[in-house]
Amino acid sequence: MARGGKFFAFFATVAVFILLEIAAVSLLKRSSTLQDIWINRFSHNVMAATWGGLTRIGSYFSLREQNDILAGRNYELFKELQRYKEMEKAVQAMAKLDSIDFQTRFNYVPAEVTAMGTNSRHNYIIIDKGGEDGVLPQSAIITPNGVVGMIYSVDRHYSYGLTLLNERVSVSARIGKEGIVAPLTWDGTGTDHAILKDIPLHLEVPVGDTVLTSGISNVYPADIPIGVTQGSRLIDGAVNVVDVKLFVDFKALRYVIVAENPDREFIRRMEE
Amino acid sequence: MKSYRFILLCVVLMVAQVFLVNYFSLSRYVVISLLPAIILMLPLKMGTVPSMLLAFVIGFVVDFFSNGMLGLTSIALVPVALTRFGVYGMVFGDEMSSRADVVSISRLGVPKMALASLLMCGLYFLVYVWVDSAGTVPFWPAFLRFSLSVAVCTPVSVLVSKLLRPE
Repeated sequence: MARGGKFFAFFATVAVFILLEIAAVSLLKRSSTLQDIWINRFSHNVMAATWGGLTRIGSYFSLREQNDILAGRNYELFKELQRYKEMEKAVQAMAKLDSIDFQTRFNYVPAEVTAMGTNSRHNYIIIDKGGEDGVLPQSAIITPNGVVGMIYSVDRHYSYGLTLLNERVSVSARIGKEGIVAPLTWDGTGTDHAILKDIPLHLEVPVGDTVLTSGISNVYPADIPIGVTQGSRLIDGAVNVVDVKLFVDFKALRYVIVAENPDREFIRRMEE
Repeated sequence: MKSYRFILLCVVLMVAQVFLVNYFSLSRYVVISLLPAIILMLPLKMGTVPSMLLAFVIGFVVDFFSNGMLGLTSIALVPVALTRFGVYGMVFGDEMSSRADVVSISRLGVPKMALASLLMCGLYFLVYVWVDSAGTVPFWPAFLRFSLSVAVCTPVSVLVSKLLRPE
């Protein structure tokens, strides 16, 4: 009880002090122009600092929402870019384009990473989109920065895939826009590193060249950047392998895009 | 009888303060104020809230009758009243206020009273000079004004304390 009384007395004292100071400041504002300007400026500064602080706190707590918006915008831009890339290829291939109503070869579905492994030799990824969202097995998992992996199996709302950090996954890659095509696989040495295999000995691969998806595949869209070359080395005295530093940071991966080729079944039947 | 004398002396000191402000200006760097001493010597049985209300009224009356800005003295004097018991505790010890004793220079001695006056005047002129400058006076001139005012008013406050409670 005594403690409650002390608290009340303390708050009453503080309240009276604040009220008296406010009253004195009000009197001063009315009686002096200089002090009036100074007090107004001071109060504006305090208000600006307060609102600025509140806005910063609000922005911090809305980061998740902002991230989602940015990921969505990223996805739209990626789709747009892919459309232009494929259109450019088609233009080059066909000599003339009859219609600008060009349809992209791949269907894209944005997704968020639900779970992912990076510590074993057979790493996986689970995303929050499944069959009901249009995801099919053997679709590519990509980001605008590079290849992530491939869908292995699909549930109604989730999909399970194998990442590039899995020895069973191989991606057809090209060094530069017009360079040699070779399979790219993970060598198990690090999450940011892969190798291009079966490079003929007579070919010199410059360091720093961009490695892209070749498009000679019914899984991955063409010209998705994968990484940069870091140098080559001789294996078994017969072929070279090229070390590639990957663009995708697998440890910080959160948003991906599933690219599904609707003609894949048709192409497979033709191959048979 | 003693309280009537104290009240009368407080009124006389307020009138003296009005005269000091209106007719006796030493320098633009020295402000003389008797008011922190009045607050310091208020009876201990008067709590913080009544002390602050009284400080506000004293400041208002002095500003009203002098050529100063209305509210300036109240702004500076109310924090002095708020911290009065804190200064007592720091300088004289907690037991004095708990026994509801009277603050007097003969009981507590000149050094302690001078220290208490210094703290009260320091707080008063800190707020007074800051608000009066209104951001238009550079730091060092304002600091000089503050320092000289505190240096002059601290011994004046000790004398006023002796006048208010001679026993």
